[in-house]
Amino acid sequence: MGRDVVLRVEDLHKSYGKLKVLKGVSFEVRRGETKVIAGPSGVGKSTLLRCINLLTKPDKGRIWLEDVEITRPGVNINKIRQRIGFVFQEFNLFHHLKVIDNVMIGLTKVKKLPKEEAFRRAKEALLAVHITEDLWYKYPAQLSGGQKQRVAIARALAMDPVIILYDEPTSALDPQLVGEVLQVMKELARKGVTSLVVTHEIGFALEVADELMFMYNGRIIERGPPKEVVFNPRHEVTKKFFEKVGRLYGERK
Amino acid sequence: MPIISPEFINYIPYILEGALWTFSLTFGGLGLGFLIGVPIAIGQVYGGRIIKTLLDIYVWFFRGVPLIVQLFLFYWGVFPLVFGVKLSALLTSIIVLGLRSGAYQSQIFRGAIESIEEGQMLAARAIGMTKAQAIIHIILPQALRIAIPGWSNEYAILLKDSAICFILGVLETLNRTRYVVIATGEALIPYIFAGVMFIIYTYGGTKLFNIIYEKVQIPGLIKSGGM
Repeated sequence: MGRDVVLRVEDLHKSYGKLKVLKGVSFEVRRGETKVIAGPSGVGKSTLLRCINLLTKPDKGRIWLEDVEITRPGVNINKIRQRIGFVFQEFNLFHHLKVIDNVMIGLTKVKKLPKEEAFRRAKEALLAVHITEDLWYKYPAQLSGGQKQRVAIARALAMDPVIILYDEPTSALDPQLVGEVLQVMKELARKGVTSLVVTHEIGFALEVADELMFMYNGRIIERGPPKEVVFNPRHEVTKKFFEKVGRLYGERK
Repeated sequence: MPIISPEFINYIPYILEGALWTFSLTFGGLGLGFLIGVPIAIGQVYGGRIIKTLLDIYVWFFRGVPLIVQLFLFYWGVFPLVFGVKLSALLTSIIVLGLRSGAYQSQIFRGAIESIEEGQMLAARAIGMTKAQAIIHIILPQALRIAIPGWSNEYAILLKDSAICFILGVLETLNRTRYVVIATGEALIPYIFAGVMFIIYTYGGTKLFNIIYEKVQIPGLIKSGGM
């Protein structure tokens, strides 16, 4: 495997009972790349992301993070997850912790960094997502949705992950708050933070994605440069999907 | 006949001193019950089948058997005959109240833990926490806050249960009142007095828990009943 491939997924399968959610998904992400996965609801996009950081156990197939096969039995999954950032649709900030502590807790309790070092890193991560000092000592419930999601991105970023996985990061947001989150994600992508993003935001894909993968029925049925996949798709379902999403989301950049 | 005999007034301090025992029983039982109830709740939510079954049996026994039977069983049976120790009536009572309350409290904490949305655990695991770390740092701090109203209720129940411990001879409020009744030959006023004391203790304690509950609320978070 090439040295700069940081994530490699090979022939991933996952079923829930009789329902086959993933039917053999394979792809790679190189260091610094941003890849977007799009597709209708219920085609396995979220399951795919959760399999990658092993929140869900795949039935078959292999996953490498840098040069470690993380699907191998006996791998310490807690160690692996420290190196994979995960941003949830519903933010999932820790309700009882202030903004700064939400970002620090992984550094102090998981990475066991000293408090000062953790604070320094948390500060850096928060500033990178434009969460300024006046918000650091507030609780999640006192923030807007857009601020919450940016804190959640900072929480992932502070762990200094090999890759960040975003699971529909703007789907739970009010429309007027989507922009600030996408803006932060774009900035991080341009800074070279390796990202794998499940989203319906075509504008984001067109602007910063190195590759757009279209998922349907448990498989990636089409992939390529975002412009090509969006404007010149080979499959009828892909075409229909992007027409529909295009109408919904307009030409938002 | 005067409504309150001068003789009874002399005994009031004696009855009030019973509060020391009443509160030892109540808070002893509440504290021990907490130490037992939290791990049981964690085991019942996150444990495997065998652990769950064992805990269910524990909860089923301590909730199903009357307190007075448990008091006799442990005072005359379990401690002297099984463990070979003769514990004082007070200590036995505190332990039995604690074991029993632990069973009840476990259900309060279980409800609180189960009311925390799944995303909290997922997010904790996603940054690399072990399950134990996630429970300690993320789940419990939130669940315990939610559990306070239920806990306050448990305090009120224990306070009243503590009166039953008179049966082993513990000199708590009720037992002292009984002695006063025997000494003065007057039953109505002393028992009313004892009853009022229990109401005051209940009300005062519940009030205290309410204040604590308000104090530890997470700013901005909409109060959910939790259960």
